[in-house]
Amino acid sequence: MPFEALDFYDVDSLLTDEERMVRDMVRDFVDNEVLPKIEHACRDGVFPDEWRVTLGEMGVLGAPLKGYGCPGLSYAAYGVICRELERGDSGLRSFASVQGSLAMYPIWDFGSEEQKNHYLPKMASGEWIGCFGLTEPDYGSNPGDMITRAEDMGDHYLLNGAKMWITNGSIAKVAVVWAKLDGVIRGFIVEDEDEGFSAPEMKGKHSLKASVTSELVFQDCKIPKDRILPGVKGLRGPFSCLNNARYGISWGAIGAAQACFDSAKEYSLSRIQFDHPIASYQLVQNKLSWMLREITKAQLLAYHLSQKKDAGDWIPEHISLAKMNNVDIALEIARVARDIHGANGILDEYPVMRHMANLESVKTYEGTHDIHNLILGRYITGIQSFTRDLS
Amino acid sequence: MKRLSWVNLDRRIYSRNVRDYMTIAVLLKQVPDTTAKIAVSGGRVDQSSVAKWSTSPYDEYALEYALQLKEAGGGDLVAITCGPDRSSKMLTDAAAVGVDSMLHVVADTSEMDSTQIQSILAAAIKHCGAEIILCGKQAADTNSGSTGPGVASLLGASCVGMVSEVGIEGDGFIAQRGISSGDERVVVSKPCLFTFDKGLTELRRPNVKGIMMAKKKVIESVSAGDLGVDLGESGVKINSHAPPPEKPPGQKFEGAESVPTVVAKLREEANVI
Repeated sequence: MPFEALDFYDVDSLLTDEERMVRDMVRDFVDNEVLPKIEHACRDGVFPDEWRVTLGEMGVLGAPLKGYGCPGLSYAAYGVICRELERGDSGLRSFASVQGSLAMYPIWDFGSEEQKNHYLPKMASGEWIGCFGLTEPDYGSNPGDMITRAEDMGDHYLLNGAKMWITNGSIAKVAVVWAKLDGVIRGFIVEDEDEGFSAPEMKGKHSLKASVTSELVFQDCKIPKDRILPGVKGLRGPFSCLNNARYGISWGAIGAAQACFDSAKEYSLSRIQFDHPIASYQLVQNKLSWMLREITKAQLLAYHLSQKKDAGDWIPEHISLAKMNNVDIALEIARVARDIHGANGILDEYPVMRHMANLESVKTYEGTHDIHNLILGRYITGIQSFTRDLS
Repeated sequence: MKRLSWVNLDRRIYSRNVRDYMTIAVLLKQVPDTTAKIAVSGGRVDQSSVAKWSTSPYDEYALEYALQLKEAGGGDLVAITCGPDRSSKMLTDAAAVGVDSMLHVVADTSEMDSTQIQSILAAAIKHCGAEIILCGKQAADTNSGSTGPGVASLLGASCVGMVSEVGIEGDGFIAQRGISSGDERVVVSKPCLFTFDKGLTELRRPNVKGIMMAKKKVIESVSAGDLGVDLGESGVKINSHAPPPEKPPGQKFEGAESVPTVVAKLREEANVI
């Protein structure tokens, strides 16, 4: 059966014709080029390079950025792209999120004119892959205390430190790396062939298996002076990027949830137990109707947020709520879908366990579920609860 | 409805007067998607029940090869359809993959016969000044297969049917078509019309740039009357539609002891071994 995206309230009718055409384009790519290969890619632990090429050809990388060869689409279109990609696999959407929101966006917003002209066209076309180095082995939710340092050596910077959990790291030509220069967080553009830079791939993941995850290691890594991002200082830089990526995730999670719902619905209608389809039993119907309810709410939330993003009328807490809620329900939907599939749910014949394992990562990266709760808690009470003096 | 404009008239004259300028037309029909459920009500297909409409698949092959012809030989590619308002979506989709202009003859075709539709399409092609025409060998909904040959006849154009590929050959065009003994390659000069069987290359996917360009392209919307077509009385009446008979339920066999029964059924009932 062809995929029918659950859209109970016809939320997609609110999209423009152009946004729906973009949706159909990406959906076609996922149906014909991603889904036939995804399980194989997961087993091999690779991100197929032809997906990079096609994403570039479609012109969806850096979707909402304007100029410098970037598409200049609406945030609603960017959301739809993320949703359709993640219906295929969270690893695929992660590739696009990192490329567009975490690597291209900081160059686009904080880079010099020369940096924009040099990097963005080739990153928009997919020719150059980007990655984003913020998280460190000992500093995940607390990036402000990062150890990685940059030192001004007069005619160049010297970078020392290590980053971890970096999507696209080993396949990237361009790494946007955040490091402290004289105690202030700054962005640096590191290229794969820079002396003193290496990006070993992290192996053994049970999640996001069709995505490359790496460490970035800097040992007296020499960075030319013109590769610092001149337009931003402090955590505002990386957090601006994360806002865009988190926004995309709030849409992407819906795609994974739709895929799980679709599989659970089809399976429950065809699986016969006690002489009847299991879809005819009240316990299963209750699960399916709960999925429909949560997906519909998530769709409305994401769409309204897209309108606020496009209008420039948003605050980071809006994005925290959407990322946290939509990933949370997507993960729970994947778990319930696996349950409906019974033992078959653990096989890669069905997408549910793959999505479930992926979403465990998505719940954690780009601000953990708990951290987003704390962001909202601070918004409600005016009291930050991230840190305290326990001495 | 927009009346024939001087701009379009100019284009027609232009295409006639400039020897090397090539105008290609692709004829597209919007049909119920091949995955859509079809309901029959009162002896007629209930169009209001169709959840998804798409470009007829054979027309998509024609569109892909029309794009390739344009890329190889230059010129102007126009997509033409005759159908209700909803058909314009299909033209915008065609623009997103590279069609230069679109002509929509707005008409309720549900009660028209194929001769009437051929008359409209032939007039639309003349209106655009196209001398190379590509279309599907048949529409996925009616399967009549009459449009291409009928339009070619009205235009006095050479017609090559059931082709899988078309290219430029000297001053003319070469098409490949499957025949019972292998492949046949046919060379024709313009005016010519090709009807497409399954092509060797699927229709390309659009990209964001194409989608944004498509938004800026205006669909020229006309009526049959605007094109000077007098439809007259329909000569062919469809008596009724009926859904295909329901497939008998599948049979399930378990255990090694059922093998002889299964083999016998496959041999005697299914005739597959």
